[in-house]
Amino acid sequence: MMDPADDLLPEGLEDRLPQSAAAATRIENAALAAMDAHGYDRVRPPLVEFEKSMAKRMDGLLTRNMFRFVDPRSLRMLALRSDMTVQVGRIAATGLAAVPRPLRLCYAGLVARMTGDMLDPRRENLQLGAELIGSDGANAAAEIVELAIATLEAAGARGISVDFTLPDLVDTLAAQEFPLDAGQVAAVRRELDAKDAGALVAAGGEAYLPLLYASGPVEDALAKLATIDAGGVLASRIDALRQIAARVDGRARLTLDPTERHGFEYQSWFGFTLYADGVRGALGRGGTYTIGGTEEPATGFSLYPERLIDIVSSDEPGRPALFLPITHDRDTARRLRAEGWRTVGALTESDDPAKLGCTHRLVGDAVEAI
Amino acid sequence: MTALLTAPLTFAVPKGRILDEALPVMARAGVVPEAGFHDKGNRALSFDSEDGATRIIRVRAFDVATFVAFGAAQAGIVGSDVIEEFDYSELYAPVDLDIGHCRLSVAEPVQPIQGGSSSHMRVATKYPNITKRWFEKQGIQAECVKLNGAMELAPSLGLSLRIVDLVSTGRTLKDNGLVETDQIMPISARLIVNRAALKTDPRVGALVERFRAQSGKDTA
Repeated sequence: MMDPADDLLPEGLEDRLPQSAAAATRIENAALAAMDAHGYDRVRPPLVEFEKSMAKRMDGLLTRNMFRFVDPRSLRMLALRSDMTVQVGRIAATGLAAVPRPLRLCYAGLVARMTGDMLDPRRENLQLGAELIGSDGANAAAEIVELAIATLEAAGARGISVDFTLPDLVDTLAAQEFPLDAGQVAAVRRELDAKDAGALVAAGGEAYLPLLYASGPVEDALAKLATIDAGGVLASRIDALRQIAARVDGRARLTLDPTERHGFEYQSWFGFTLYADGVRGALGRGGTYTIGGTEEPATGFSLYPERLIDIVSSDEPGRPALFLPITHDRDTARRLRAEGWRTVGALTESDDPAKLGCTHRLVGDAVEAI
Repeated sequence: MTALLTAPLTFAVPKGRILDEALPVMARAGVVPEAGFHDKGNRALSFDSEDGATRIIRVRAFDVATFVAFGAAQAGIVGSDVIEEFDYSELYAPVDLDIGHCRLSVAEPVQPIQGGSSSHMRVATKYPNITKRWFEKQGIQAECVKLNGAMELAPSLGLSLRIVDLVSTGRTLKDNGLVETDQIMPISARLIVNRAALKTDPRVGALVERFRAQSGKDTA
């Protein structure tokens, strides 16, 4: 007797069967092609590497939620990657350290985390992305936002929405313009993040209240932000945001939320989140950051297209397939494959082309629709 | 998918304590449930608003937070106790509605029970996450017993040494031989919205503005 529980897949891990695997492959290839077309070279880092090396590349990246185990060879701790950005950072800091900047790299691969949560139980994710290494200015940020939109469009997302944020704004203001005690910063950030005005005042962050209301469509929000008198740090950020927004105007709905920090653990002055119509939650995010170790500035984005794949896979069109009888001209079949046909060869005389999902059959050297 | 944008917004409200106070606040913000909502005999869980722009669902308080965090409802009303307990990253609580006031407190028997250790404490509560976090800050590992009601019985029956529960007048504690020892947090009801919905659907932002406008406490 087989116990049905033996074949259960663990929570958050699933098979993609042909139809959804086809959608996943198509989306991954289209996204990679879009990044390649913009001059981003693909790199393929390993699935597993030393925990310490990944942890030191980005501030705020926690290895706690990575699958970790001791390497029997080196006796050091290994970790299964949960974010490929840090690996690209390592590559830029080591193997490609001598290559002239700016360096444009892209990647696609599976990442895993130890635990999912109720809202998002998935523990394995496809991550696609690009990193522009050597620059974190407004031009670099604009290029990356534009590329992220182009990549999402190529992947088939519609009704794209980009939400800008200023991840280090609170820390920067807390140091000077709107001073906070070290102990208060965490609470103020937390309440700004939750957009809880009552709790924000209670946490001593009254000066930060205007930031709470400076969110929404990017033009309105920037105008509101501009009325806050906080010296040069804010003014330079507003100028940069205007520049980025102008570059992608008309290609996506643009909003600003200056205090959003969800998913921006290591970003510096600029961050953004990507949404698309019909896809629950964020599809990806990006921003500027510093590669740990070399302190080199960089800008990049990552997409997590699994939910997009789930949505489109039920509509993924079936593809034509050509049935080859058990005796057929092998040269003809080779020629047809070269022309782009997918062929399905019979194994026995009694094979039924329709049951095998074929749309056409080879009769002599002619292709006939079934 | 424009069809999604033209579908009514879903607004989740909690059954019980907060609802009676929440209805006038919702009405001032333009969210008025159809007549059937007030009919005690009506067992439906989902109602249209009078203007048809919103669908109002009536669920348990803890489920309001889950529906909204998931994006199954775009907005809702719930106590800050529930928001803190789940600590969902997908929730915004932009408006303090200044209703449903009470506090979340620790209570123990008037006659202290002997036993237990200084490092661990068994606590009966509906809020295991908040309880654990609060006791951690006191250097105590709380071993929570999750109960869904009648917490006050737990100490006298030996289930726990302390309880963590909502307190408004303190009457229930007193009647059950308990005394409030620490206040963990003050509670009030909040408007909550889904993070992605706020950023992608302009109607959610407009809804927040309407609630803000009618709530005097929250105008900056």
